Amino acid sequence: MIYFDAGATTLEKPAAVRAAMTEAVATMSSPGRGGYPATRKAEETAFACRNEATELFGVDSPEKVVFTSNATHALNIAIHSLVKPGSRVAISGYEHNSVLRPLHAVDNVELTVVDTPLFEPRMALEEFRQVLQRGADVVVCTHVSNVFGYILPVQEIAEECRRSGVPLILDASQSAGVLPVRMDALQPAFIAMPGHKGLYGPQGTGLLLCGDRPVKPLLSGGTGSVSRLRRMPEDLPDRLEAGTHNMPGIAGLLEGLRFIRRTGLERVARQEREVVAAAARYLREIPQVRLYADTEFANQTGVLSFTVQGMDCETVGALLADRGIAVRAGLHCAPLAHKTAKTLETGTIRISTSVFNNAEQAEVFARELGRIIRENARF
Amino acid sequence: MEHYLLIARSVTHAQRMEKTLRDAGVRGTILRAPTQINPKGCSYAVRIDASRIEAVRDILSDTKVPPIHVYVKSSDGYREVAL
Repeated sequence: MIYFDAGATTLEKPAAVRAAMTEAVATMSSPGRGGYPATRKAEETAFACRNEATELFGVDSPEKVVFTSNATHALNIAIHSLVKPGSRVAISGYEHNSVLRPLHAVDNVELTVVDTPLFEPRMALEEFRQVLQRGADVVVCTHVSNVFGYILPVQEIAEECRRSGVPLILDASQSAGVLPVRMDALQPAFIAMPGHKGLYGPQGTGLLLCGDRPVKPLLSGGTGSVSRLRRMPEDLPDRLEAGTHNMPGIAGLLEGLRFIRRTGLERVARQEREVVAAAARYLREIPQVRLYADTEFANQTGVLSFTVQGMDCETVGALLADRGIAVRAGLHCAPLAHKTAKTLETGTIRISTSVFNNAEQAEVFARELGRIIRENARF
Repeated sequence: MEHYLLIARSVTHAQRMEKTLRDAGVRGTILRAPTQINPKGCSYAVRIDASRIEAVRDILSDTKVPPIHVYVKSSDGYREVAL
């Protein structure tokens, strides 16, 4: 199989991830719940994972690295911590439903969508600047569109937010493990990310990196600390980590983070771009294909969307799957991004790559797509 | 044997203290703190030999990870002290 759906989950993981998870199941109990070797091992693994994240993401303390079950969970905590009924919230036009739905769940949020065109970061920045001048309470912005791989100018948006005193929530779902994502450089209120995409950890893992803003727990329960209190502890990470930790997941995520630090972000990004650039070269030779690609991929990661004239996206995706090529077709849980890019009515077919993909796979994919299109034309 | 317990806010805080001390050459052991010295309930502590408490004071006073309480354990039991 050629797996081109890393934007959903990286299926191919470093071998150390699987080994660590297997070991964790057999040897680790609950961190923060006892004083015997199995808890100590769990605690040491969790702490090592927080420290790896601290180094990779420029967090000033491992206590500000909170384990979540995915990026959606992390975004929910961040949004519910900062957004109140009636808040004025500015978002990019490329947000995922993991941002839109939690915002919708808060009463009377006044939402401003910065719906500037694809691959136009200057326009996005200028529009965010104007929205901030008009007044906003919170900004939520994705670093990279999960549909189009479009890299938003988050460094500059973060600077504008700091200048305006407006907290920023950064969704790093598609950038963590691929691009530099650093708390110390961006100084946002929160950064949310999954463990199972670019960090090569297992499903069921995510991270919320916290700044200095107060946080509101979504869950209450046991933390192994200050247990006589009826309310949740004030201190991180316990305040946001009620219940038993996903230790196999955390052990796997630790190895994923180590893999990324060993490999290096530049190498990951270069490899992924090479694959989508190769795919784009081949696809441009097929007249029925419409590509959504940036010039020279300057503002784009290893994610590429396209449509095929005369065929619906889901059919193309299914026919590729029949040929052993895994892509994702439709709206990608991001109808707003499709609305902004004017693809809401059709959706797109998306290939999204990992460091385990290569240009030869892009060639095979394009060849098979060409065959599918030719076969479809006969009927 | 007389020793000190550096009480932490959480197990992660205890781990940060222990690592800070270890990096500075002082060995400590993370353990569950006794319930009788925890009015708020369960917590973790870093146990330090009494002979190293001066070094601990120097190291932790320069960091962002001071303990929330310090107890000395002697033959008379636990007694809270200032670091």
